[in-house]
Amino acid sequence: MAIGAGKTYKVPIGPVHVGLKEPITAWLDVDGERIVNATIRPGAIHRGIEFMARERNPIQVIYLAERICGICSFSHIVAFVRAVEDAAKIPVPARAQYIRTIVLELERIHSHILWAGVACYTFGYDSAFHLGMILREKVMDVLEALTGNRVNYGTGTVGGVRRDITPKVEKALREMIAFYKSEFSFFYNVAVDDPVALARMRNVGVLSKEDAISHCALGPTARGSGLRVDLRWSAPYEAYADLDVKPVVPQDYTGEAYGDVYDRFLVRVLEVYQSLDIIEKCLDGLPEGDLMWEPKLPKLLNYLKQADGIGMCSIEAPRGDDTHAIKLTGGEENVTWWKVRAPTYSNAVSWPIMFKGNDVADAPLIINSIDPCISCMERMLVTDVRKGSKQVVTRAELLQSCREKTRRLMGA
Amino acid sequence: MSKCKPEYAKESKSPEDIANCLKEGFNDALESLEIREYKGGVNDEVQYRDMFLKIKREKFLELIDTLRTFDFLHFQIMSGNDDGDVVTLNYHCILFRSSGRGKKISLCISVAVPKADLRMPSLWSRIPGVEYSEREMREMLGIDFEGLPNKGLVFLPEDWNEDIKPWRRDETGPSPEDVRELS
Repeated sequence: MAIGAGKTYKVPIGPVHVGLKEPITAWLDVDGERIVNATIRPGAIHRGIEFMARERNPIQVIYLAERICGICSFSHIVAFVRAVEDAAKIPVPARAQYIRTIVLELERIHSHILWAGVACYTFGYDSAFHLGMILREKVMDVLEALTGNRVNYGTGTVGGVRRDITPKVEKALREMIAFYKSEFSFFYNVAVDDPVALARMRNVGVLSKEDAISHCALGPTARGSGLRVDLRWSAPYEAYADLDVKPVVPQDYTGEAYGDVYDRFLVRVLEVYQSLDIIEKCLDGLPEGDLMWEPKLPKLLNYLKQADGIGMCSIEAPRGDDTHAIKLTGGEENVTWWKVRAPTYSNAVSWPIMFKGNDVADAPLIINSIDPCISCMERMLVTDVRKGSKQVVTRAELLQSCREKTRRLMGA
Repeated sequence: MSKCKPEYAKESKSPEDIANCLKEGFNDALESLEIREYKGGVNDEVQYRDMFLKIKREKFLELIDTLRTFDFLHFQIMSGNDDGDVVTLNYHCILFRSSGRGKKISLCISVAVPKADLRMPSLWSRIPGVEYSEREMREMLGIDFEGLPNKGLVFLPEDWNEDIKPWRRDETGPSPEDVRELS
């Protein structure tokens, strides 16, 4: 493409690509290789889940909530059951709070390792991607040992949890912690030492601190911009009440927050170590006691039927603050209304700012950098509005252009 | 766009201080106010507190501007429901997001919008992060946000019949024929 001709082209990326869990369209206005502006259009996978909940009772909605996302399924149900517990004034036994915290952190570990691997893959660092996938298997095995499933664990319920940490599971968890403490250093080295990773991610997709505040950025995206925000710290829920969790921000490690893809990478890699510490402390302090406030389901449903009011809860999911709000009406079995705000909903508002001034070849990396459940591009369509010509760029070609940029930087 | 540089407050205030300030400033326009405590951990101690309030529509912007004097009001999401004669909107926001351990206050601000006049002032010029939520409430419940520059559909398909408002429970909502049973 010609560079700097002064006219812009519209480049749509999306909505549907192989491997995407969450189809979305990004319309990029490009001048040559430079992205001048961007418009985001979600909606390709709106399943009406909140509408479906109107005909289900809170226990049935747990299994609907779990299917919002395949990666952070447990985060969604914890936010949901906590909102129900808020509306119905249900306390949760301490042991259940600790088990919830452990599963939440296991989920954060597998989400962050997956993301780090995919980010490396996007800029052509395949060996790191493959290593990431191998490393991630360990936490997936532990989740399977604890819950019986690799995703959609069916572990949370209103007023507690449905699975216990047995001595066998505890042993597997401690082995996993030891494994990652020695083996995960590779990713840490990629984040802090590798010159190519630094060249591809530093000053790319910058989101300033001010823009992150005004556009309500969340989680590692906000922390990457230097904001000290983390609900595990600012509103300690579950076992975080007994733990001293501090927000991980790049300025504490590198002296400065750039708010770029590199900083988002660094935050996530460091958070894996933070999660390992949290799990270790939870295992050390795991209190004895009940798993559920009310194990008899008909009794629990009857109690929930009498509850009346709005409940809300926000928790720190791997991608940021996951918020659920719910209304229960006294005498009615079903949920009156339910609203889910997954972190990507907020973080995607910041995309247009991150895109501005970057190369088209950086677009996949920038889209990935907020960890939006969108991990690769299938194709994009380049349209010359004046000539009316169209050129389809395949996913492979787009990936190729992203990787060629890495090679150019390496001087190959 | 707000002229002042967005920044989070370093010092927080207690929910009671905020409640007193709002009660003084808004009197009857503040229809209800509740502070809830959230406990956690082995000792079951209070960890943080949230506020639930209901305000008359005419005073809504003034309330938001008052809250913004405490901290940059972090907008989370809007929920809403068709409650018969009115559509109730709930603005979920956070104060003191970055002010210290246990200092966060989530706010649920409810506003009743009469069906005869489904308009709300947009918060976009104050908090750009509200854009998707205001567009979502427009397409799902039919609320017109005055001052929102992009009122395009956000989650519904391009060819959606905009006369149908999916979350409404009256004649503008989806009819049984519009809903396809999956099982």
